[in-house]
Amino acid sequence: MIVCQALRYRYPAAGALVLQDLSFSVAAGEFVLLAGASGSGKSTLCRLLNGLIPHLHGGEIGGVLSVAGQDPRVTPPHQMSHVVGLLLQRPDVQCLATTVARDIAFGPAGQGQDRDAIVRRVRETAEWLEIVHLLGRAPHTLSGGEQQRVALAGVLAMQPRLLVLDEPFAFLDAAGAAQLRVLLRRLRDAGVTLIVAEHRIEQLADLADRMLVLDRGRLVADGSPDQIMTGDIAAWGLEAVDGPLSAPPQPSAATGATVMGWEAVEFAREGRPVLRGVTLKVAAGEAVAVLGANGAGKSTLLRHGNGLLRPQRGAVRVSGQTIDRRPVAELARTVGLVMQQPARMLFAPTVRDELAAGPRALQRHDPAWCARLSERFGLDSLLDRPPQLLSAGEQRRVAIAAVLAGRPRALLLDEPTAGQDARARAILRDLLAECAREGLAILVATHHLAWAHALCPRWAVLCEGRIAADAPPAEVLARPELLHRARLAVSVGTA
Amino acid sequence: MEPSRPESPAALFEPSGRFDPRAKLIAFLFGFGWTLLATQIAALLLLDAAALAAVALLRAGRPWRRVLLLLWPTLLMFAIIVGFSAGATAAAGAILRLLALVTISVLFFATTPPERLGESLLASGLSPQAVFLLEGTLRFTPAMALLVREVKEAQESRGIRLDGFYLLRNGAALLAPLLADVMRFADDLAEALDARGFGGPRRTPLGDYRFKARDWALVASLLAVTLTPLALSRFYPAFSIQGW
Repeated sequence: MIVCQALRYRYPAAGALVLQDLSFSVAAGEFVLLAGASGSGKSTLCRLLNGLIPHLHGGEIGGVLSVAGQDPRVTPPHQMSHVVGLLLQRPDVQCLATTVARDIAFGPAGQGQDRDAIVRRVRETAEWLEIVHLLGRAPHTLSGGEQQRVALAGVLAMQPRLLVLDEPFAFLDAAGAAQLRVLLRRLRDAGVTLIVAEHRIEQLADLADRMLVLDRGRLVADGSPDQIMTGDIAAWGLEAVDGPLSAPPQPSAATGATVMGWEAVEFAREGRPVLRGVTLKVAAGEAVAVLGANGAGKSTLLRHGNGLLRPQRGAVRVSGQTIDRRPVAELARTVGLVMQQPARMLFAPTVRDELAAGPRALQRHDPAWCARLSERFGLDSLLDRPPQLLSAGEQRRVAIAAVLAGRPRALLLDEPTAGQDARARAILRDLLAECAREGLAILVATHHLAWAHALCPRWAVLCEGRIAADAPPAEVLARPELLHRARLAVSVGTA
Repeated sequence: MEPSRPESPAALFEPSGRFDPRAKLIAFLFGFGWTLLATQIAALLLLDAAALAAVALLRAGRPWRRVLLLLWPTLLMFAIIVGFSAGATAAAGAILRLLALVTISVLFFATTPPERLGESLLASGLSPQAVFLLEGTLRFTPAMALLVREVKEAQESRGIRLDGFYLLRNGAALLAPLLADVMRFADDLAEALDARGFGGPRRTPLGDYRFKARDWALVASLLAVTLTPLALSRFYPAFSIQGW
């Protein structure tokens, strides 16, 4: 299906080669896990396979590449799409039409199929992916997991022989990840050739026939996942499948003084209850993980913490005082929030200016403190670079440091590990643990149980808008019925 | 409105509504033209009354009220400015004209899903790229609105205010991430379109759009209403229309 010999690639105006001397072949029907740290070249290789590179991005290519007998360098992507289905990282952008049914029909209609065939294809694909109930919905009203299934349906409706998925697990909760695993297994059984680029290799290690590991653009390992994962994969920025959950959790550094408190908070959106009487306290020096499925209310809970949302009933207290109608910008003196997409927080021309912007607005700029944060977060070498041009992991560190530069007493983080490789996750975990030891109250919403286990001595499990458990990880993990109800069960089994 | 219950894909693609979207587009353009050409208060009153009657008949009162709630301060400001500069009659005329334009637009957009308008134009030979421009604008408008809100919230969470006067002072904190994200979004969208086979020479319309007898009747009546008074006033000056 794929033949790749001495393949190399350089982006336009870039000095270094992104892919160097790649040689491998993939047989029809094989399931290949493509692993590697951020920047290793996984996404670039995915885009080469269906011709997005060079047709859309340009650049300099050398070597031989053949996909299903066609050369993606000369065949335009809209023709390659008949053979190669590519699912990219952001599902929200890939849902192209105003309804799910129209979105699934988008590809077949572009192939010029007749109307009856399109209708049949849409129905079959929707049934196969169990999204018939979503056909009339607008994509922007769906959850991230639902959007991803719709985007996958749009690709599968074109009946590609090779399916390439770039980080499909990045934004999925445990239940969504389990559903995707089932789908991938069914696709493999149906004879579709699969290439899945993924950081969370634990999701696929038992499913893939073969694993390719890229490190700084070079193919450094090619074999069965079992065989490769017995080696020193940490050197390539990968994480062992059974590592972090077996590691001892961080000891609590809580000092007893409550910084943040949610008291019987209730909140409904468009008539649907999101938070139902949530009560939670976070003390200085404590790191608490908020766990739950997509749509369980984790982000809503965090947004109440700094006043972006106000409780419809109940109260939120910061340093013992209810926040009432106090402006968000005033609450930022005490509570910092780092959102899921850190790039949306960054605007200054350099990292140095970015660190100073928040404290200046709060009129508490302390250059010595900013310098200390820069050193601690490993930003010294990046201080004069534009934040928007940094890698995702670096942007995340800048965003957290920029929020901490205002010296808040509590830090709220929304899915800080999304799209981060193992190395970036480990760095982030150590930094946050250090901040907690210095007295910062931390509340982190995450899907990543292994990461939460290593950082947070206390877990609050959100289920259907309620705190179903607030206990140390060991106690939560010992309650399988709770894990199942909160859609965390699959993660535990595989993490 | 699209249904949210499970439904056959074929039913979701079929044309809906009494008239073909293209017939509605022609009616919309006629209404717009009449309103722009009307000069007399009586003529504008007649147009407003007709448009409001159509709003009631087609049950488009809710979207109409929503739009007017957003626009009334602008209308009021406009009336005051025109009133001071050109007198009360001119102000009344300007307000009636704007009201008619808004009402006709709401009528058209509330009763014509843009994807169906796009499909019908595709069936008439418009290029797939132009059709996607129409449909994509609608699809991604909520995404852009969400993006603006998230950037504002992200900055306010850092203590950087972006409300009222502060928007002028701290505008870069909104604009820079917004521009960067929109550019990323455009890149991702271009990739998604290519990956889904967009760019081929043809595209199948999902619904069967044909001009039916009632669509021809609508267009013919609009032509008649426009041309008859013109012809009468040309050949019989006694029939001269004062309003237009």
